[in-house]
Amino acid sequence: MRPIPTLKISVSGVRGVVGDSLTPEMVSRFAQALGTYVGGGRVVIGRDPRTSGEMVRQAVVAGLVSSGCRVSDLGVCPTPTVQLLVRELGASGGIAITASHNPPEWNALKFVGGDGLFLSAARGRELLDIYHQGDYVKAPGAAQRPPDQIPDAVDRHVRAVVSGIGRLPEGAPPLKAVVDPGGGAASVAAPRLVAALGAAVEAIHTTADGHFPRPAEPVVENLGALRDAVRAHGADVGFAQDMDGDRLAIVDAAGQPIGEELTLVLAAEQVLAHTPGPITTNVATTDAVEAMASRYGVAVNRTRVGEANVAEGMRHAGAVIGGEGNGGVLYPKVNFGRDSLVGMALVLHRLAETGRSVADLAAPYDAYRVVKILRPCPIDRARVLLEKARELWAEHSPDLLDGVKVRLPEGWFIIRPSNTEPVVRVIAEAPTEDAARGLAEQAWTLAAETLDSPGQA
Amino acid sequence: MQPLKIGITGVRGVVGETLTPELVVRFAEAFGAYLDGGRILVCRDPRPSGPMVQAAVTAGLLSVGCEVVDLGICPTPSLQLAVPWHRASGGISITGGHNPPEWNALKFVRDDGLYLSAEQGDELLDVFHQGVDDRAGWEEVKSTVREEDAIAQHLEMLSTVFADDALRLRRLRVAVDCGNGSCALLVPRWLEALGCEVLPINDDPSLPFPRLPEPGVATASQARALVRAGNADLGLVLDADGERLSLVDETGQAFSEEVTLPLAVEAALCRRSGPVVTNVCTTARVDRVAERHGARVVRTPVGQAFVSEAIVEHGAVIGGEGNGGVAVPEVHPTHDSAAAIGLLLRHLANEVRPLSALVADLPTLVVRKLAVPVPPRAIYSALAELREAVGEVEGATVDHTDGVKVLWPDGWVHVRASNTQSLVRIIAEADEAARAQELLDWARERLKA
Repeated sequence: MRPIPTLKISVSGVRGVVGDSLTPEMVSRFAQALGTYVGGGRVVIGRDPRTSGEMVRQAVVAGLVSSGCRVSDLGVCPTPTVQLLVRELGASGGIAITASHNPPEWNALKFVGGDGLFLSAARGRELLDIYHQGDYVKAPGAAQRPPDQIPDAVDRHVRAVVSGIGRLPEGAPPLKAVVDPGGGAASVAAPRLVAALGAAVEAIHTTADGHFPRPAEPVVENLGALRDAVRAHGADVGFAQDMDGDRLAIVDAAGQPIGEELTLVLAAEQVLAHTPGPITTNVATTDAVEAMASRYGVAVNRTRVGEANVAEGMRHAGAVIGGEGNGGVLYPKVNFGRDSLVGMALVLHRLAETGRSVADLAAPYDAYRVVKILRPCPIDRARVLLEKARELWAEHSPDLLDGVKVRLPEGWFIIRPSNTEPVVRVIAEAPTEDAARGLAEQAWTLAAETLDSPGQA
Repeated sequence: MQPLKIGITGVRGVVGETLTPELVVRFAEAFGAYLDGGRILVCRDPRPSGPMVQAAVTAGLLSVGCEVVDLGICPTPSLQLAVPWHRASGGISITGGHNPPEWNALKFVRDDGLYLSAEQGDELLDVFHQGVDDRAGWEEVKSTVREEDAIAQHLEMLSTVFADDALRLRRLRVAVDCGNGSCALLVPRWLEALGCEVLPINDDPSLPFPRLPEPGVATASQARALVRAGNADLGLVLDADGERLSLVDETGQAFSEEVTLPLAVEAALCRRSGPVVTNVCTTARVDRVAERHGARVVRTPVGQAFVSEAIVEHGAVIGGEGNGGVAVPEVHPTHDSAAAIGLLLRHLANEVRPLSALVADLPTLVVRKLAVPVPPRAIYSALAELREAVGEVEGATVDHTDGVKVLWPDGWVHVRASNTQSLVRIIAEADEAARAQELLDWARERLKA
């Protein structure tokens, strides 16, 4: 089999392996394309702490300045900080330098529009056209300005969350949280936010030097240290983030992860309890969202997977809250991007307001068990796979909004190629974990067989 | 569109036109790969395109596994001294030098602090053209380190070389026009260290260039006014990155940048005789001064790399070029206006005579210059044809060290391609003005352009 290419250029950005496909020349071209696309003005940049971050940042600065932009450099900060500061500074766009949950050898650019949202698919396509055409604006040397450093970006983010959601109510029982930013971009912000909200905080994995103390994704198998710390400190809750601070996973007081699908459910419940309104999530997120929303009598609308799609769907639906099953919470009142700080604040408020435990709040959704598997698959094969899957389950009238989603009596599953990596993801939900896993594996096996059959591969 | 010049002296172009971030990234990658990684020092002059170019340079160097030491705004000779001190494998100075503000360029320095030689420059170009594919993975990729001390260390080095005379210089009043270049961070401090009374002007690198950065009569007006108003003993006109220098005397008369080297040669040979190095198109006043002291002159092709190499090879006591660049080998064998200032002021103090008298003592010759714009596609063919057309000249010597130089007993003319612009430069020098003009016209007639 030929090697799977590591470079992924798509409407959600450009992502590649450092030392291999992600070269500074290409990065500087992308930055010039964005500078050209937003027509100059101020562009906010920030990065996660990957070892390649400085190299990529320099290439981004060169490209933006060359295309006539004023660069506001936030340094190492969560991706949602970039989104927030784009709006606060009235910038025309932003670039977050992060490969979010990918392993340390990866890095990527994510593009933010002047509204603080990731570029939508349509706008991403326009940017790609400019990138490929290569006819970038070239500002005369005399008109170029050096980047401004914004040293207090993280503090501004923390302030925005506290002023948007409020400090924890006076007189509520004291809360203690353990945060595990995973040595990522939120290593400074996470403990600072919890303290600013008025809860006691312990922190682990806050050395952000690009050497990941645990795998970047805040999924159950990577949360061993957090679970131990929550128990050791007798904390009420544990929070884990991914490398760029947009996703949040929650551990209960017994050290038990509640599953990242429930982050949105718990956070949204806090919002709906006060301001009922539509909620938006993607097509691959747990049905627990509907179960929760029905209690408040509000509509759930589903979009394609990806923050840009969810954010766009939220705007159309006038949603009060939204997010994704990977632990991403969007609360437009504070920030129009997946923001783990917002998620932490909402969940802490939920705990303080109800006086209930995390386990208790998660209990109603115990029968929504989601299992996710992923399999390496080059993009061209993935396309064939999807076509086959559509035929294979045609009788179940699959939902084709994004990939192929099939509802069966025992649960549902969705097969879709990743937007960011050469892999196919299969997500399944059923009342028990075993049933969900069985469903996912069975779906993959059936679909993969169609590829391997003679004359098909 | 202004031309892009990629040559052995580096890469030079106009930002906003030819000098794009991609090109700079690729050049920096090629340089890092050529040096096989290691520590690389980077500095820039204060022109506004500097931060963009520096970001691209840094990205390129980091990508191939180099560790980048950022000296910020800093004169090129300070970087050149700092390279060996930091045991670095090389350096990149981002400076348009004497070029107008819209230009910028990369100058490549090797581990001994000198510019790449012509052969090394050729090798670097080969690496550049071939492209780099061996990049640092995530565990090898390094970061940037900020270094603030290069200028202080340069000052220390200068003080060591020129220390013993400091007291005698105490009373000199020196007007200095730094042109808001990187020298503003070095030369006024150096003059103070020498015990001078300093009258600085345009000494803020955060402000735009107030004049073209090329030292000479045309750019000396502010220095002249300052000398007169401040009753100074002399005035100094500096370029943007600390290599070139021209002088103004105590009466406020500005001298051509061509005068700087002959005076520096006189100053150096007064203390110690030894070989002198300059390029083929620099004034014959250098030879006449050297003759007085019984010293020998070595001529090289145009370009600092050649001059530096010959200084080392011949153990020269002084070197430089007609553009106002002077190398004092006791400091380092590369153009350094601060070192030249130390040498010249010490001489001035020893002689106890005004600058006007010292310049009047230099042999007089008359120079005529002409720059002929030639499109890049025709420039080297025009020179090749000229060489054919000139052939052998009766009663004269023809020298092909760089371009075409013809020397008669009473004068010479030299024709060559500019290293930095799309021009053919003709320069003639003779005892009499009419003869200099005649030689210039003689060459111009034979140049088919």
